[in-house]
Amino acid sequence: MSEIIVVTSGKGGVGKTTTTANIGAGLAALGHKVVLVDADIGLRNLDVVLGLENRIVYDITDVTEGHCRLRQALIKDKRYEGLFLLPAAQTKDKTAVNPEQMKKLCGELAAEFEYVIIDCPAGIEQGFRNAIAGAQKAIVVTTPEVAAVRDADRVIGLLEAAELRNPALIINRIRPKMVRHGDMMGIEDIIDILAVDLLGVVPEDELVVISTNRGETVVSDERSRSGQAYRNIVRRIKGEAVPMMNLDDSGFLGRLRRIIGLK
Amino acid sequence: MATEIKNSPPEPWFKKARRPKEIDEMIDENTILVRRTLRSGQKIHFDGNVVVVGDVNPGAEIVASGHIIVLGALRGVVHAGASGDEQAAVLAFRLQPTQLRIANHITRPPDDEITGPEQPEIARIKDNMVTIEVFQSSDRYGNLI
Ligand SMILES: Nc1ncnc2c1ncn2[C@@H]1O[C@H](COP(=O)(O)OP(=O)(O)O)[C@@H](O)[C@H]1O
Ligand SMILES: [Mg+2]
Repeated sequence: MSEIIVVTSGKGGVGKTTTTANIGAGLAALGHKVVLVDADIGLRNLDVVLGLENRIVYDITDVTEGHCRLRQALIKDKRYEGLFLLPAAQTKDKTAVNPEQMKKLCGELAAEFEYVIIDCPAGIEQGFRNAIAGAQKAIVVTTPEVAAVRDADRVIGLLEAAELRNPALIINRIRPKMVRHGDMMGIEDIIDILAVDLLGVVPEDELVVISTNRGETVVSDERSRSGQAYRNIVRRIKGEAVPMMNLDDSGFLGRLRRIIGLK
Repeated sequence: MATEIKNSPPEPWFKKARRPKEIDEMIDENTILVRRTLRSGQKIHFDGNVVVVGDVNPGAEIVASGHIIVLGALRGVVHAGASGDEQAAVLAFRLQPTQLRIANHITRPPDDEITGPEQPEIARIKDNMVTIEVFQSSDRYGNLI
């Protein structure tokens, strides 16, 4: 049984692409066959984050328009054996793909891969509708900022309306010090509003930026806290019950309401 | 509970002629039950009362000609008595609205309010002003709002 998961947020720049790349790499590192679909058509950056830009010949619209076969457009990752990327088109506009085509595409990918992970564009327009069309599950990424949480809430409402219920939440770029000083929303505040299950919390970590700029993923970095956070998220996606890690000595993660796996 | 309301099947007491007047009035009231959290961008406009079993999040909006009752946290925008009914009330387990309107009164929480309420509260017009009080289910039963 394969899973088709969309990674979405509403607000841009909160870490959807980073999350998609790290979950994909993390699952592949555990021996799973994974394909990442860049549905951010027109912008395209999943390939850059993975360091695969120079390998692109065909893209998602070439597949949907029948210019090439699906197999031809898939790019094999250079580090992880089972990891593949279906790149977005950079030049064409967002209406180049429609929800029906996305559904069909996801179905075809699910026949070959254990995990199909879709990187959603920001916003709630056509690009968003395309990205969620073929998904069975959703991961919502937010940062601990009021505007990001508000957009996440809007997106959760839209996902529910599209029958994608119980999305799982990832809170990215948390800074324990700022939360402690009341300068940033805390995990509990966010869960209190969004009322969805928490899949993981990823700390602010400059290693994310450093690895991204090198076209690498931080998930394989044994020493980094963000890498550990992504590895935990990956295990939860697989259905394991992994306790939340303590980002902070004051133990503010201790009173969480729910900890879940995706299965 | 002294009175009992039944809709079906019709039983002898239900016949209109024998039904007490106050029950008649209750049955005429229009109320919807919303059994989920209203999220940012979601709006309900209703001619009658609205009861939400869930939260009303920031960015969500309820406009009702009657009362608005939220069995959860009310953080969005609400307008009760929207057609001008000054008797309308807003009741919530946690009353922390972005903006609260009753009839043609418009209010918002003070800018320096940091902590939210700990108990259910009710907002209604008293002496031509929107007042917020702790909701006490024990006093004057039968005439809560
Ligand atoms: N946990 C983190 N710590 C530090 N920087 C991060 C973290 N997560 C994401 N970033 C950075 O934030 C920026 C936006 O991330 P990205 O994944 O592209 O967001 P989105 O796809 O939602 O627009 C990138 O520069 C990325 O390196
Ligand atoms: Mg992105």
